[in-house]
Amino acid sequence: MSDLLNTLLDDARLWRGHRQFATIPDPEQTGFEALDNQLDGLGWPRGALSECLLDAPGIGELQLVLPLLRRVTTRKQTVFWVNPPLTPYAPALAREGVDLDQLIMVRADTRPDLLWTLENCLRSPVTGLVMAWPDTLAARDVRRLQLAAEAGHGSCILFQSRRQACQSSPAALRLALEPDHQLGLRIHVLKRRGGWPGQGCTLPLQARSGCVAQEGSALVIRGPWSGGPAPG
Amino acid sequence: MIWLYLHFRHLLLDHVARSRQDPSPLAVLSHGTRQVIQACPRARQLGVHPGTALKTALNLAPELVMVHADDTRQAGILEQQAHWLYRYMDRITLYPPDGLLAEAGSVQRLYDGLEPLQKQLQQALEERQLNASLTTGPTPLSARLLARAGMQCCTGETSQMHRQLEALPLPHAGFDDRTLQRLTRLGLTTLGQVFHLPAVELARRLTPETLAYVQRLQGQRPDPQTSWRPPHYFRQRADFGLPVEKAQGLLFALQRMLSELESDLQWRQQDTDSLLLILHHYRREPSRLRVRTTGPEHRAEAFINLLRIRLEQHPLQAPVETLELKVTRFLDRQATSHTDLLGETTDQGEAWHTLVSRLQARLGESALQHLAPAADHRPERAWSARSLTAGPHHHSKGSDQLPLRPLWLLPQPTPLEATPEAWLGGPERISGGWWDGARVLRDYYIARLPSGQLAWVYRDDQQSWFVHGWFG
Repeated sequence: MSDLLNTLLDDARLWRGHRQFATIPDPEQTGFEALDNQLDGLGWPRGALSECLLDAPGIGELQLVLPLLRRVTTRKQTVFWVNPPLTPYAPALAREGVDLDQLIMVRADTRPDLLWTLENCLRSPVTGLVMAWPDTLAARDVRRLQLAAEAGHGSCILFQSRRQACQSSPAALRLALEPDHQLGLRIHVLKRRGGWPGQGCTLPLQARSGCVAQEGSALVIRGPWSGGPAPG
Repeated sequence: MIWLYLHFRHLLLDHVARSRQDPSPLAVLSHGTRQVIQACPRARQLGVHPGTALKTALNLAPELVMVHADDTRQAGILEQQAHWLYRYMDRITLYPPDGLLAEAGSVQRLYDGLEPLQKQLQQALEERQLNASLTTGPTPLSARLLARAGMQCCTGETSQMHRQLEALPLPHAGFDDRTLQRLTRLGLTTLGQVFHLPAVELARRLTPETLAYVQRLQGQRPDPQTSWRPPHYFRQRADFGLPVEKAQGLLFALQRMLSELESDLQWRQQDTDSLLLILHHYRREPSRLRVRTTGPEHRAEAFINLLRIRLEQHPLQAPVETLELKVTRFLDRQATSHTDLLGETTDQGEAWHTLVSRLQARLGESALQHLAPAADHRPERAWSARSLTAGPHHHSKGSDQLPLRPLWLLPQPTPLEATPEAWLGGPERISGGWWDGARVLRDYYIARLPSGQLAWVYRDDQQSWFVHGWFG
């Protein structure tokens, strides 16, 4: 009987309620009040995986992580960007107040290399945040990463396609990201620790276009073609 | 003065045996006669003794690993031994192919007598799995003769040393054949009897050179020794006898070489950040493997971990006959600062170097990069990536002065496919590059695409539209 219990307890898929408060170190706030309210102030989990599911870059997904990036780099902890799909633009990051010396870009070409890299980064005490853009990960691999994350104290955010939303995942926090029509970012909480999923909120991220947030169409400037030919 | 002579009876045999992981019997062959001249204990058990012919030996022990005697190679191995001996004694002379002479009288007080020194040296020899007999003598030449004759004489007593020397049989005294013959015909059998001959008679009846030799032996004539100076690099070789095909076999030998490196670095109080491994193959260009750590390091364990990853990633191109480890770059050690009294807090800088070195060893050095803004108006040139080993970069520009830029930049601008829904910023004209041929003339806009993405688009002077970045 106790063998059976031990096997169950060793399984990373099993979540035990009473350890909840012990396992959460001081929370890593997201920096957005609306989202923090939805997450009961727990923010980005440390020593655990988070997943952001989105369809295409450019909807404000990095804006969501920026407060965390800024905070981690000021603490002089290292941030790893593993296999970013595009080039993170250094002048823009510098403008946002991110310490570029703490950022390390990593390119891992094969899947075993990628997993190995992520595991090593997560286990290291110097890591503050790991951001990774894996193609697809098997549930087994995610579990391995989750265990590695528990060994370290850093946060880990995996950016994946929204098609993964229907699959289960051992990640501690899962957010589905969608753009809305006002340049905002609609966030749907698919899973979180210590609470029920299903909440959602919208972050106003108009400031990233350089305009002050205004109502409706006043925000829109006149295009360079006025009802003219469509480019293409 | 007391001289200490280390006589390595079968240096080549020991050297090959300790690099090999499997305990197969070993023998050293002479070049010309194809006879066994040295055999390891396992080979001797099987009946292979010095003097056995090659064919007989192979019949007795089919799995016998054979090494050809090579004096130049052995001289190289001998010099490696001088490296560690230099930590105990400073005036060392090499006597290739199998002996090291060191002046022991001046360090006697440091070790509180000759016996503790001898014990320490024996221990050092055992750690390195080598066999050598230690013999003292009142003169350099006498120490060498006593050692080669196999006399058990390691003492600080001068009278005892003289007694041993006088009892030395003439055939072991190192005279040439003609002199030896003449001395024997005179009815002399030991060196002591030669010493008692009057010097003038010795010079007249034999040759003046013989007299000089005998006087050097007795210490009546100067016998200057050229001291060996340790070189400013570290070099170790491992010979395998039979070529090694698997990385595991290399790691076994590397373990010992790296711990030798660790103690050498410890002794120098220095660190290194780059190792060069040269793998010699049979009839092929040697392959070179350079392993770098991002920070100064001296621990054998850290190096072996990196090498293990490296050898896993790059399988051996051909079986390896000889492995050479070279370190030429030494860095002065810096005091570690962030450790508390009990040593419980780990040094962040060290942990960083360990992690980055591991990643670089597996993924390659170019796979890890730092980003930095660059001073150029053209967006694709306004950033740069540099390797991590280049050291920290200092950004000077204040963040407020920078223009609004997207967080993602596309590696190549792609044609704009869909008509933007809304125009939110621009135009910003960027015109530059007329000075180096990469001309850029663009008007940049910020636009929202129907997919909801916020794009950084531009129109070039051909009136074509491109996406150059995303406001992620």
